[in-house]
Amino acid sequence: MTNAVAGLGLAPDAAMVTFSIEMFLPGSDISPVETRKREFYDGLTRWRSAFAGDGAGQAPMITVEATSVEDALTQANHLMLAKRWGDGLPLWPPTRGRVDWILRGAAGPRHRRLGTFPPRGGITTIESCAVALAMAGGRPEYLPVLVAAVEAFLDPESGSETLQAASGSAFPVVIVNGPIGDEIRLNAGFGCLGPDPQRPAGASIGRALRLLQQNLGGALPGIGTMANYGGLRYTNVIFAEDEGSLPAGWAPHGTERHGFVPGTSSISLAFANGATNIRRRGAKKETPEEDAFQGMHRMADFMRVPNMAGLSGYEHGTPGILMIPGVVAQTMAGLGWTKASMRDFLWEHSRIPAGELRRAGGPAWIEIDTSKVARDSLALDPWPITARPDNFVIVVAGGGHPTNSYWLQGYSPGVVGRPIELPSSFATLLADADRDLGPR
Amino acid sequence: MVSLEFHDPSGAVEVKQPHAPRIPALAGTRVGFVSNEQWQAYRMLPRLKALLEADFPGIEVLPIDAFPQGNAVIGSEETAALVKASGVDAVIIGNAA
Repeated sequence: MTNAVAGLGLAPDAAMVTFSIEMFLPGSDISPVETRKREFYDGLTRWRSAFAGDGAGQAPMITVEATSVEDALTQANHLMLAKRWGDGLPLWPPTRGRVDWILRGAAGPRHRRLGTFPPRGGITTIESCAVALAMAGGRPEYLPVLVAAVEAFLDPESGSETLQAASGSAFPVVIVNGPIGDEIRLNAGFGCLGPDPQRPAGASIGRALRLLQQNLGGALPGIGTMANYGGLRYTNVIFAEDEGSLPAGWAPHGTERHGFVPGTSSISLAFANGATNIRRRGAKKETPEEDAFQGMHRMADFMRVPNMAGLSGYEHGTPGILMIPGVVAQTMAGLGWTKASMRDFLWEHSRIPAGELRRAGGPAWIEIDTSKVARDSLALDPWPITARPDNFVIVVAGGGHPTNSYWLQGYSPGVVGRPIELPSSFATLLADADRDLGPR
Repeated sequence: MVSLEFHDPSGAVEVKQPHAPRIPALAGTRVGFVSNEQWQAYRMLPRLKALLEADFPGIEVLPIDAFPQGNAVIGSEETAALVKASGVDAVIIGNAA
């Protein structure tokens, strides 16, 4: 709550009366309202903010002193955990030298303001991004992607202001299109959602975004974010679309969803709250048509669930992001499928019969939704999990193997795109990366 | 001795406006509720309304539904304008969890 108060531009405290979670559950004993009534009365009459001044200005530099470099790194890491700035994994202390090195990837001045990070309202600049990227072990050529992702995150359309604090464990998913993915060694193929020393960019970009969410946005578990589980939050999810495997006539995601000219380096940001591997391929002697059709049904069946958190994106967001490997996309295209026809199929076959929706208590959530389109959808039987087929995101990514696809279940009020701005020295940064990281 | 100097990653926040001033006393005032109708607010806020009315002579506590309710609307400028126009001296907002 204090984060939310600070995010409104007020001092970061408020007159609150807090109780344990048990009192907020159905059928609870609410007698503490009476025994602690004086706290309510004092909040209206006697409470004063503990903060003075406007709070603005640069955060101070931190210094640790030790007898060796190794000890200094150890002390710095201990301090960053004690200050609640870390994530439990080793961090690079964001020294001036390291941050200045990262800033070689900046396309604008270091103090260019990108906004304030919700809900705490931490002032967010290109330098803040560089600090987080330095801590996360990143490199200068990653900075343009991180800055674009942060700009999208801070766009109110993304819904980040709510999702940062909400219990539903939303995590950002950043899809990268255009040549920059390959250029900075961002994975689009085998293991693209996990660690890969050959294509390491996603780990530190996603981790840096998470550190910004925590350190500027105040999303500390159990304090600033009520996320019950917080899955995939060490690095969030960031990958490139495997544009080299797109079938002829299939447009990149950035073009389909955001209208970017093919070949534009861009990001697209959505939020998800689940991640599921789907065994898509058939097991016996299916014809190619049967294999495709059964796989489509199996994927739609994974989507046909009462994901009430997903209602936030019912009208303008997405019910989720479906990742299919290039080899599957090629086969599907050979059978006449397009991304659009797949979306139509999934929309139709992921609909939930009204009786099943009622059994799961779905209508109560739909009735209180902010979107009239969502509320009106209750009249439909079977109930579509999203307002229209175009809301589904389909991306070609993953290893060149036909067995699996992947479903990132949506919790995403919007899907926000941003072009990526590059510094004039970008080619030099890529040459430096080749020198440092070795041949591809 | 090795010295390592690095940036504080928590940055800075701006305080753009003060909190509302507190009222000197509750007796004889007009108090409202803004409810999100979540987390047992429908039980807790009426209890608090009754307590205020019992404890402070001359207090006028508006009905719980005097203003729009629900997460979708309580943070809107429209609701804020309604609260202001109602002439209340103070409001209690609930519930968060």
